[in-house]
Amino acid sequence: MEQAAKKGTVTPLASLFPPEDTEKAVRRVKETLVEEQAELDRVQGFISDNTSLISLVQRLPEDLHHDIMVPFGKAAFFPGRLIHTNEFLVLLGEGYYAERTSRQTVDILTRREQGLESQAESLKVMMRDLQAEASFFGATASEAAEGLVEIREDYVEENSTERESQSGPPKEGAPRFSEADKAKVGVKDEEFAHMMSRLDELEKEELGNGRNEVNAKVAVDDEEYARMMSRLDELEKEELEAEFGDGRDEDNAKVAVKDEEYARIMSRLDELEKEEPEAEHDNETDEEEKMRADFDQLLNQRSLDKNLRYSEDYQSRKLLERMRDKKSATEELLNKHHPQQDLTDQLNCTGLTVQSVPKDEISHGTSLAHNAIKSSPPEKAFMISEVKENVQAANSSRSQVPDQTSKPGFDSHKAFPGSIIEHTHNIQTNFSQQSGTSSQPPSSQPSKPVSRFKMQRR
Amino acid sequence: MASPSALRELQRDLETKANDLSKLQKDIAKNHQVRKKYTIQLGENELVLKELDLLKEDANVYKLIGPVLVKQDLAEANANVRKRIEYISAELKRLDGTVQDLEEKQNSKKDAVLKVQQRIQSLQAGKAKV
Repeated sequence: MEQAAKKGTVTPLASLFPPEDTEKAVRRVKETLVEEQAELDRVQGFISDNTSLISLVQRLPEDLHHDIMVPFGKAAFFPGRLIHTNEFLVLLGEGYYAERTSRQTVDILTRREQGLESQAESLKVMMRDLQAEASFFGATASEAAEGLVEIREDYVEENSTERESQSGPPKEGAPRFSEADKAKVGVKDEEFAHMMSRLDELEKEELGNGRNEVNAKVAVDDEEYARMMSRLDELEKEELEAEFGDGRDEDNAKVAVKDEEYARIMSRLDELEKEEPEAEHDNETDEEEKMRADFDQLLNQRSLDKNLRYSEDYQSRKLLERMRDKKSATEELLNKHHPQQDLTDQLNCTGLTVQSVPKDEISHGTSLAHNAIKSSPPEKAFMISEVKENVQAANSSRSQVPDQTSKPGFDSHKAFPGSIIEHTHNIQTNFSQQSGTSSQPPSSQPSKPVSRFKMQRR
Repeated sequence: MASPSALRELQRDLETKANDLSKLQKDIAKNHQVRKKYTIQLGENELVLKELDLLKEDANVYKLIGPVLVKQDLAEANANVRKRIEYISAELKRLDGTVQDLEEKQNSKKDAVLKVQQRIQSLQAGKAKV
């Protein structure tokens, strides 16, 4: 540990969180957990009661009358007969009753069931949170007992980048944007950036343009779009494998020209693809998965802003290349972007129906496309944000990439509240309250960033 | 020396303040309970209103008053429930205000108690030195 840091302070954890206090906190959280469990059991009892009641109410009108035992007072019953089996007096609450038929009653009961279900759901979520809290308290208690120390340092920009470069490379070994890959397939990278920029371009243009001609053009544009997509896949593949490098450069030079050239390129790509053994595909998907895992890791292990910085470093480089290509690419791609918006959902099917290339290749390509989309959201996200700045286009929830961007956001959100980080705040305040009641200086507040970092590791 | 008597006085002061504080805390807890009750009632009333809205015009609606069911007009029942919801919401708002007030008071009391404690401590420390 770098204890020699100029502005760092080292505090034993035990002094911040006295073991007995932590124990107390654990106990308290466990108690609330038990209470919640009881509440959940109660609600679940209601739900099961309700379902049995629904089945009873559904069954009653099947007969004209039922022979029953009528309760009489507390202990007595007498035989009776239930008639008017399709008339129910339903208690709506607050002393209000309504006359309903069996069907209507079942409707009411199902509505109630939905309410109960949502209650149970929220209770479960709360319990999960509490469990996480309890485990955190327990861990803190044991750590404090072990004599762990907390190192606090002011956050400085350079520091973070340093740490970035320290911790960055090992984690990025697998992704295709790592240094090694860059060296290997610099050209491919550029081409990929180019393609991405064009896709982005299309999306931006689509926002700016009216959508009236969409329908008329869809049939033709589908094909073009499919071509674009497969080409994009192709580029990605090349990046990953760095196998058929020859001739790519001149392709690159021509990319931004006419559709005939596209066709030519596509035919070549098809040839290449046919040669490609199936095994490679497997390899790629594996790699893609690894990448995805790595990105998840990144999201989990680092705070978001760090992530952002990293991607931005990368993106700013991309952006330069893109800006160069953008102008030529814009016009002729203008009319190709419409299908994209319509196709995003059924990418697979449209690709299959429209394209005339071997089926083998399409499934190949589309699966890759999916992988790529899944694995690269962080980059895409930033790409978009930057493109937006340049093009000044409004956001559209319908276009593909914004949809994708929402994914990483969601993921990271999920990752954070799921872990303990979200609770840091509560816990900290809890502790400070505790220490406040035991008249100790609540000094735990400013240390949040570091302790959060520490927590993230666990 | 005047410190023993001063100390005693301070301790008495502390005691009364602590008593006040605990009373305040009790009030807050009670308030929370009432609030919870009202919230539950509000939820129930909203449920009733929803169901009443779903009923057809000609549906028979009864209200349980004491031991008897009294037939009620649907519109009337609807209006009653609405009024009740209004009332409960207003009550909830009022309770929120009082809770906030009480919490402010509690905080200031806490501060006062802490101050008195510190003074006692410093006095004791001074005495130990002397």
